[in-house]
Amino acid sequence: MRITIPHIGNMYIAFRSMFNGVGVEMVVPPPTSKKTLSLGVKYSPEFVCLPFKLTLGNFIEALDMGAEVLIQAGGPGLCRYGYYARDQEKILKDLGYSFEMVTTELFESKIVGVANLAKRLSNNAPFTRIASAMRFGMAKIAAMDDIERTVHQVRARELQKGTATRLYREAVQAIDDAQDGRTLKSVTKDYTGRLRAVPMNTEIEPLIVGIMGEFFIVLDPFSNMDVEIELGKLGVEVRRSAYVSHWLKFSLFLNAFGISEKDRIHQAAQPYLKRDVGGDGWESIGEPILHRGEYDGMVHLAPFTCMPEIIAQNIMPTIKDRLPVLTITCDEQMGRSGMLTRLEAFVDLLWKKRTSRQMERAPEGRVFSVGLK
Amino acid sequence: MLRIGIPRGLLYYQYYPLWSTFFQEMGMEVVTSNPTSKAIMAAGSARMVAETCLPVKVYCGHVIELVGKCDYLFIPAIRSIQKNVYNCSKFLGLPDLIKAVVPKCPPIIDVDIDVSKGKVSLHPSSYEIGRWIKPRPKREKEAAKLAWESHLAYIKAMESEMVSPLEYLSGQKPSLASQGNEHFTVALIGHPYNIYDEFITHRIIHRLNTLGARVVLPEMAGRDLLAAGVVKVVGRPYWTYEDEIVGAGGHYLDADVDGVVAIVSFGCGPDSTMIDVVQRYARRPGARPLLTLTIDEHTGEAGMVTRLEAFLDMVARKARRRSA
Ligand code: SF4
Ligand code: SF4
Repeated sequence: MRITIPHIGNMYIAFRSMFNGVGVEMVVPPPTSKKTLSLGVKYSPEFVCLPFKLTLGNFIEALDMGAEVLIQAGGPGLCRYGYYARDQEKILKDLGYSFEMVTTELFESKIVGVANLAKRLSNNAPFTRIASAMRFGMAKIAAMDDIERTVHQVRARELQKGTATRLYREAVQAIDDAQDGRTLKSVTKDYTGRLRAVPMNTEIEPLIVGIMGEFFIVLDPFSNMDVEIELGKLGVEVRRSAYVSHWLKFSLFLNAFGISEKDRIHQAAQPYLKRDVGGDGWESIGEPILHRGEYDGMVHLAPFTCMPEIIAQNIMPTIKDRLPVLTITCDEQMGRSGMLTRLEAFVDLLWKKRTSRQMERAPEGRVFSVGLK
Repeated sequence: MLRIGIPRGLLYYQYYPLWSTFFQEMGMEVVTSNPTSKAIMAAGSARMVAETCLPVKVYCGHVIELVGKCDYLFIPAIRSIQKNVYNCSKFLGLPDLIKAVVPKCPPIIDVDIDVSKGKVSLHPSSYEIGRWIKPRPKREKEAAKLAWESHLAYIKAMESEMVSPLEYLSGQKPSLASQGNEHFTVALIGHPYNIYDEFITHRIIHRLNTLGARVVLPEMAGRDLLAAGVVKVVGRPYWTYEDEIVGAGGHYLDADVDGVVAIVSFGCGPDSTMIDVVQRYARRPGARPLLTLTIDEHTGEAGMVTRLEAFLDMVARKARRRSA
């Protein structure tokens, strides 16, 4: 039984490691591409949100490579994510594919559900083996997230643009290839060291911009048109609260790490939005309030017609004391050049704000330099 | 007398008898906005981001109409009315959304209705209205009972007496029950706030009637058949209002009707996937013909009528062939 999951950032690495560890073969769909998107668009309902189209495209490509079991999000919820599996299953069956669709509804019973799935697909591998395979998969994700945090810092300051991104890609590959915990530790250490050694401009104090919005789009560089890399090129240090490891930990073990950050975001959102409206709408209200004073601005990624993010977009203008926010709506029509123009304008604006803030604070007659730009 | 505003949009079409009876019985005056008009729609649209779905924009327009005419707005945040079956995000965000976009918005009574959490149900006895309105109204229990009765009477009238919600709510004489000499029957399916809003769907029931069709509505099938329709098409229900599209689709596409007309709104998240599964179901051999109309602010009456006419021609031909 060959299993597959659609792409959400580097999530496949954790799943591959976990399933391979118990002897289940996993088909990794080709990296999401224009072709994936056009397949998805062709067979999806017209007005469905972008993650639906992309994950459907991933499934088609994986099925063509011989996948037999598809994993998709599922279970009750407020937005469409939990509905994907139902519709996609029908679409793919209508296209003539035969497969089994497994939904993460089993995540309701948290880690036990996933372990049971692994057990079934692996012809009864012992639970101890399953547990250690899962632990190893999670460790890989955690390692990648750590490296990403370092990359965000280096990108904004590196002298030779593109170095951090190249090292990051190599690191992801090395982590994916790692067969045991020791290797994983040593490659993580190695790449962290190499990243820190990249020649950087230490004079500047880069702008700090948070990335928030719909989870899938935030973590999927294809959908967000590499917004983090582009911001890095503009000399901006990126921060974000959503990491794959949080999601996995949240889905697999309830009340794990990462929850307290969520709580703080929700508290900040309270006066403007009292309830969790599904997806990440609540967070999109809370983050620009919570990170005031800490970041210079936020980029908000919202898929076209996404219900939770529409709520957030409607409420956002009325929030008084918050960071400046640039909302980018993502759909299949988006163009890179349009996004770049808007990012540049936003970054300019943030520099102006920072300069005027510093001037306000500066003692008379002295003007602070703000480095770059 | 305290005036409670209930905007004529979204869940108005399901729960107006329930909510209005409740507040009236508690000695308050219930104020409703006028039926949707161009001005109401435009006022709502102007205050929301363009991508917002039409029904929510229209609702916002109704709230704007009520500004200055009531002391409180009743906008519950309904998360679920059935265990593990949730509403669209927008129903849950509605109170805060409205508060944010409507200038001079009256205070909102935003009771949480979430059956999945097991605390508060649709039954008004659990609204704890006293939290908002002091001194605490005395008759709450009695009012809740009467309200619930009027809700049940409303459902019953639709289910067994073929009264359309619109007729019931506006006190018009029931007309659908007495239709009879038409040659064919069309089921009209969609969210009540679309199909019964005579402005945004251009009096579609009346249109279908004048084009010679007998019309049946989702409510008339009754909740059990609608629920069975959902199970048939997708299995366990996922969204609260899945009945109105997937349930009604699943039921009527196999029922004794000649065709099914589905109304969905542009930019509606749930509709985009729900209508897809219904359309796929309609492709099965033997299913009744299905016409899907997607509506937005710019849907013209003429265009809609043309499409309805073409569809009804086809349906009528098939119906004749069947009876021949
Ligand atoms: S959060 Fe938005 S984009 Fe994501 S599945 Fe839900 S509606 Fe679609
Ligand atoms: S179900 Fe659709 S039309 Fe209704 S509020 Fe949600 S998005 Fe809007």
